[in-house]
Amino acid sequence: MRRIAVSGLGVVSPFGTGVKAYWNGLSAGACAIRPVTLIETEGFRCRIAAEVPDGFGGSLRRSRADRLALAAAREALEDAGLSRVERAEAALAVGAVGGGMLEAEAWYWERFRGRRPPSRPTPRSMLPFSHAEALGNALGLEGPRETLVMACSSGAASLALAADLIADGVVATALAGGVDALTRICFMGFNALKLLCPEPCRPFDRDRRGMSIGEGAAFVVLEELGRARARGARIYATLAGHGMTTDAYHVTSPHPDGEGMVRAMKAALERARLAPAAVGYANAHGTATPQNDRIEARAIHEVFAPGRLLVSSTKSMIGHTMAAAGALEAVATILALVHEVVPPTANLETPDPDVAFDCVPRVAREAAVEYAISNSFGFGGQNVTLLFGRA
Amino acid sequence: MARVAVTGVGVVTGAVTGGREQIRAFLASSGAPALSVPSSALGGLIDETEARRLSRICQLSVAAARIALADAGLGPGAGLGLVIGAEFGDLRSTIAFVDGYLHRGPGGLSALLFPNTVMNTMAAATAIAVTARELSLTLNAPTVAGELAIARAAAAVRAGRADAVLAGGVDEFDSALAELLAEGGAPSERRGEGAGFVLLESLDSAEARGARVLGEIAGVAWRALRARPYGVGRGAASRAVAAALDEAGATSGEVGRVWVSASGDGPRDRWEQAILEEALRPARPPQTALASRAGRHAGLGALAVAAAALDEVSRGPAVVHAIARGGTHVALVVRSVHNG
Repeated sequence: MRRIAVSGLGVVSPFGTGVKAYWNGLSAGACAIRPVTLIETEGFRCRIAAEVPDGFGGSLRRSRADRLALAAAREALEDAGLSRVERAEAALAVGAVGGGMLEAEAWYWERFRGRRPPSRPTPRSMLPFSHAEALGNALGLEGPRETLVMACSSGAASLALAADLIADGVVATALAGGVDALTRICFMGFNALKLLCPEPCRPFDRDRRGMSIGEGAAFVVLEELGRARARGARIYATLAGHGMTTDAYHVTSPHPDGEGMVRAMKAALERARLAPAAVGYANAHGTATPQNDRIEARAIHEVFAPGRLLVSSTKSMIGHTMAAAGALEAVATILALVHEVVPPTANLETPDPDVAFDCVPRVAREAAVEYAISNSFGFGGQNVTLLFGRA
Repeated sequence: MARVAVTGVGVVTGAVTGGREQIRAFLASSGAPALSVPSSALGGLIDETEARRLSRICQLSVAAARIALADAGLGPGAGLGLVIGAEFGDLRSTIAFVDGYLHRGPGGLSALLFPNTVMNTMAAATAIAVTARELSLTLNAPTVAGELAIARAAAAVRAGRADAVLAGGVDEFDSALAELLAEGGAPSERRGEGAGFVLLESLDSAEARGARVLGEIAGVAWRALRARPYGVGRGAASRAVAAALDEAGATSGEVGRVWVSASGDGPRDRWEQAILEEALRPARPPQTALASRAGRHAGLGALAVAAAALDEVSRGPAVVHAIARGGTHVALVVRSVHNG
């Protein structure tokens, strides 16, 4: 079995553009969830989200999501130092949900009001696949190309599938990640489901009241380990295993026993040939809804048992970035291994007594962890666990 | 590496609905194009609760998946994976969700419609209906989504990551979508709607359970050709066709037929011809474009794979080929039990 190295990282997050800004925010336990400026929020119970600040660049003729993706993908490719030829051979896997919907919505809103829309959206800019086409064309990626739409686990799934392509010997290198910009549909939908908290979310807190939405993009360069070593690449971590399962239970709610989550985590361990005790940190899906956190904590407990495992939620700082979440949280997990620091769960004041783990409240923790998992669970009961090892 | 058998097929399209026998009859006939799925096609395939709760595109997907499982002689099962391709997803529900807000404000938003705005809603509904609890993927791409899903699923079975996978695609097409596409400047082509799945499993396990094997997916490859987003490229040098033939241990000269993705989008259709000419020369095997009878949609990939597997006439393996605007490019090499 070919082993997979992570040899490049790129991030655009609510903390700003670049991996450095992201890690500075995470390690400081900062919370980037603030009043929404990108869309109208009048009449909604929740009016906050974690938006990406200006500075990520790109032509305004592109959708906001395309520009987020391009900035993160460019950083990852430059970080990995891939040649033009290596890029041309590389696979591209993009987790996406909203596509260029933010701009399509603006057009549809104006059209509904009988005004002349500012510009017309086209299929190439509106649908999730638009990002992969924009990246492939702009960055010269001509290997296998895929857009994965798996709700909140899309970004994590893109890394898992790219790793499969390398493990199968189809390609030696892949660019994989996820992207989502804030959209009206997403904001309205989670409001309609009454899953949003009017204040910044508090994962694993006894008094948590729901999630916060965010936006962003993250990409990683995955590479066959031997090849990465041979070309002298900086290796951040190994992607030692992954598990992907489906609840087949309910369209929006996870299985109450978390059995699909358990199977995903066990599959990742099995693929990595590791015992649960080898894992020291779990970057939880941790949405801060009362139900999801309770079920995830129970599932983690079933696989790992309480002990020295540290658990934290990146969403407490950057919100739930939807299709980008799995990729952004994978990068957070990798950086935790690199820096030997576990990022905290911000806003966690009163730990939930039903959560049997140290959820690293508010302040980052120094911890030299050998292996760490990143969980992503999406609508449709789509469960993905990524397992990273220290390089 | 496992050999990948096609052991079942189910399609719900304007032109044909059913499993292998209905597809065989369809291929032997020469009917007029039928692009829309009549509501009668879902009779007996969707129960009353599903008919009330599921959006139409989810119903199409569930119905085709059930036909494919029955065709394969399998019941719903815990060992089942699902890979679905789609171009537009549930756009009808998305428009209804947004219109609720625009007409009535926040109070007009439907919590029931919102999950349908996410493109994996068809996979979620189908996984629940057929108890598919393993790998479940939704792949979004123009034109090639169904073929790409089947290629992805075949690779998973081949590598031993999945025991049995329903793979195919679904798309819905109606006047509202047609209007939006026209306003958005989408190219004119013969679009249809429907769902199609093939059941893929390892040849060993298929034979062990006495499955009726339709054929074998002997090679798959998917790559990207250089092109502007949603544009048509100039280059015709394909790596996907060669890679799929290599994996199948076949040569271009042996190809008995090509099932092409041509759909009346002139520039894209001409690009596909240039790619195939370059990839297969000097051979020029006969071609069939199913979109001419059923319209182009993500369910067509499964119909093409089944048609290739059921082909009793052509000598040599078939290539199921699809190229999308933007450059995503898929090739599958299918061996029929008749032409081995």
